Amino acid sequence: MKRLIPLLIILSVSLTVQGQFKKNKGAIASKPSQQSKFLEKQWWLGFKAGTNFSQPSPIKRYTVTTPTNYAQALNDKVYDSFSKTGSQATLEATFYFKGFSFSTQPTYRQSRFSYTNQFQWRNPENSAEHLVLKYDQEQNANYADFPLLIKYDILRGKLRPYVQVGVFYSLLINANKSIKISGTDYASGGINQFSNQEIIVGAKDLFHNYWGIMGGAGLGYNLGNVKVVLDASYWKSMSNISNTSNRFSNDRLTGVGDAQDDLDLNNIVISAGVLFPMRFLSNSFKTLDR
Amino acid sequence: MRLLALAIIALVLMGCSNDSDPAADKANFTRIYDNNKYDASFYPIDAKQTPDGGYLILGGRRIQDSNFSGIYILKVDELGGFISEQEVDENYVNPIGPLLESGGNYFFFCMTSVGLQTQLFQLDGDGTISNPVSVGGSYPAASATDGNNFMLLSYDNFNKNTVVSVVTPSGSITQSKGFSIGAGDAVEEPIINHFLRTGKQIPFLVGKAGSQFYFNGFYNYTLSLCFTNLLADDPQGIIQGQQDDGGVSQVMPLDGGKFALARFNFGDNYFLPNATLNTSGISSSTDLGGNPFPELVGYASVKILRTTINSKKVAIYGSDTRSKQIALFGYDESSGEFMGSRYLGFSNPFEIASIAPTADGGLVICGTTFVAGRFPRICLFKLSQDEISGSFK
Repeated sequence: MKRLIPLLIILSVSLTVQGQFKKNKGAIASKPSQQSKFLEKQWWLGFKAGTNFSQPSPIKRYTVTTPTNYAQALNDKVYDSFSKTGSQATLEATFYFKGFSFSTQPTYRQSRFSYTNQFQWRNPENSAEHLVLKYDQEQNANYADFPLLIKYDILRGKLRPYVQVGVFYSLLINANKSIKISGTDYASGGINQFSNQEIIVGAKDLFHNYWGIMGGAGLGYNLGNVKVVLDASYWKSMSNISNTSNRFSNDRLTGVGDAQDDLDLNNIVISAGVLFPMRFLSNSFKTLDR
Repeated sequence: MRLLALAIIALVLMGCSNDSDPAADKANFTRIYDNNKYDASFYPIDAKQTPDGGYLILGGRRIQDSNFSGIYILKVDELGGFISEQEVDENYVNPIGPLLESGGNYFFFCMTSVGLQTQLFQLDGDGTISNPVSVGGSYPAASATDGNNFMLLSYDNFNKNTVVSVVTPSGSITQSKGFSIGAGDAVEEPIINHFLRTGKQIPFLVGKAGSQFYFNGFYNYTLSLCFTNLLADDPQGIIQGQQDDGGVSQVMPLDGGKFALARFNFGDNYFLPNATLNTSGISSSTDLGGNPFPELVGYASVKILRTTINSKKVAIYGSDTRSKQIALFGYDESSGEFMGSRYLGFSNPFEIASIAPTADGGLVICGTTFVAGRFPRICLFKLSQDEISGSFK
C-alpha cells in the first residue's frame, strides 16, 4: 500500500495537468498571434550527462555468517549513503505545450554504492587472542533507464526554472562487486594489520531490473536557438533491485560470508545538457527569444 | 493519458515480480555458523532435515578436559537461521554419525570420556536431547540404520577386535560379533589416532547389503571391507586394503548387487560408481580400479548419497578438493555414467561432512569451513531441486 501512494500522487498530478490543458486552451485562444501561438508547443531533442549518488536501503537483510553466541546485529552491513559517485548519459526527447512538458529520457547510468561489515573473535581469557576483520564491499551496477516525466516551467522567460515528476524503469546491463578484506591480528606476536588482495567478481546475477518514481527541479536557459539545462532529481526505487533467486549463487562471495540483501536503491541524479528545438517557423526565427 | 496509466501499471507488475521470495529463500541458501570465541572449534558430522522443515546438525567440538572431541548439537530453521545450540556435557565424547532416525526421533552414538563406554543419545526434531543409554563396548566408530534398529561398528581395545553389533533404540545389543585386528600395537595406533583426531581419519563404515552385513574396519592387520553374517567367526568376504594406507573410503549398496564405491591407495582416490564386489572370498581393493581423482586431497573423505534426479536414480559422490572446495559428482546408478559435477565454497577452505536429501527434492550439504582461514566452523549449503537438475543432467 505504501508503494501505491506515490503512484496515486503521480496519477493525480497527471490528471491535474490534463485539466490545466483544457482550461488554458480558451485563455490562450483569446490572444492569438502567429509567434505566440507557434511557441505554445515545441519538440525538443538533446542530450545531457552528469553524476549520480546512490543510497541503498535494505528491505530485508540476508547473511551467510550466522552467529551462534552473539548478536547478529554486530555483523550487520553498514551501508554508505550518497558517498560514491556514479555517472550517466541521457538522450532527451521532450514535447512542450503551454508550460508543461512531456519527456522521455533514456539514460545509461552507472551507480556505485558500498557497505562494510566487521567480525571479531576474542579469547576472554587471553586478550592477545583477538582478530578483527573488516569487509569493504563496493557494488557497481550499470542500467539503461527509461523515465517518463512531466515538467512544468515555473517562469517563461529566457531563464526557465522547472519542476518535474515521473516514473522510470531500469534495465540491468551489467554489475560487478569488489570486496576488500582487511584486519588486525593481535595474536601474531604483535599488532599485525593486514589487507588481502581485493576480490572482484561479476555480479550481474545478483541484481535485477527495477522501477521507481522520480521528482526534481531544474533550470533551462535559452541560449540562442538552443536550450541549456541543468537539473537535479531524486530517484526512488519502488521494487527490489536484488535478484532473489541468485542471492547465494556466487561461491566467491558466500565463501567470505557475503549474501546480497533485498535492496531499494535511491539516487540523486544531477545532469547538464543541451536541447535543440525541432520546430521552426522560418530559418531566421529564433524560437526561444521571447 | 491512458498510455501513461498503462505504463505505470506495467511497471508495477514488473517491479513486483522481484519482491522477496520466501520459497526461494528456503530452496537455496548458504550458512556459516560462527562462534566469536577465538579458541572455539566445531566440526559437523551429519545434518538431517526435520519434519518442521528445519535442520538438525550433529557435530563435534574442541573441549578442554579430554583428548577426544566433545558433542555439539545445532538446530536451525528452514532458512538456515540459528535456533539453538547445545554443548553436551563433557563427560560424553566422540560423537559418531550419521544421525539415525527411528520412531520419529534421532539417535547417535558416543562414548564416555573416562571409561570410553559406548552411549546412545536420543534427540527430538527440535534438538532436545535426552539422557544417554549405556550400550556397552567401547570406541564407537560407525553406525547405520537397520530397519528400526541400528548397526554399530566399534573397536574393542581390550580384545583388539573390530566389533559389529545390532543395537535397538533402547540401547540393547541383539547381535554382535568381534573380528581380530591382529596382534601388536602397530595395528592399533592408527585406530587410536583416528579417535583422537591426531592422525588420518579412517573411513570406518558399517551397513547392510541384502541380508549380509558389511563393515569397513581393521581386520587381520589391514583396513578391509568385510562381509559377514554376524554368525561365523570370520567374514565371508574380505576386500583388503593396504594397512591404513589403502582400502575403501566409502561404499553404498545399489540395486542388483552392485555398489557405488570409493577407494584410496597411498593418498590417491578412485571412484567406482557401478562396481561389482566379491562378497565372498578374499580380494584386494587395488584390483578394483576405478576413475582416478587427482583433484581430491589425499585420503579424501568421501560421502555417497542415493537419490533421484529427473526420474533417474543417481549416486552423488561428495568429497574435498585440493583447492579446498566441496565437490559433488553425479553418476547414473544403473550405468555408472558420469552426469555432472558441482563445486561448493570458495575463498576460505571447505570440507564435506554429509549430504542428505530434503523434502523439496533438494539437497543439504553440511561441512566445515575455516572462517578467516583459521576458525573451524560448521557450514550448510542448501541446493534446490532446479539447481541439482541443472548440475546433474
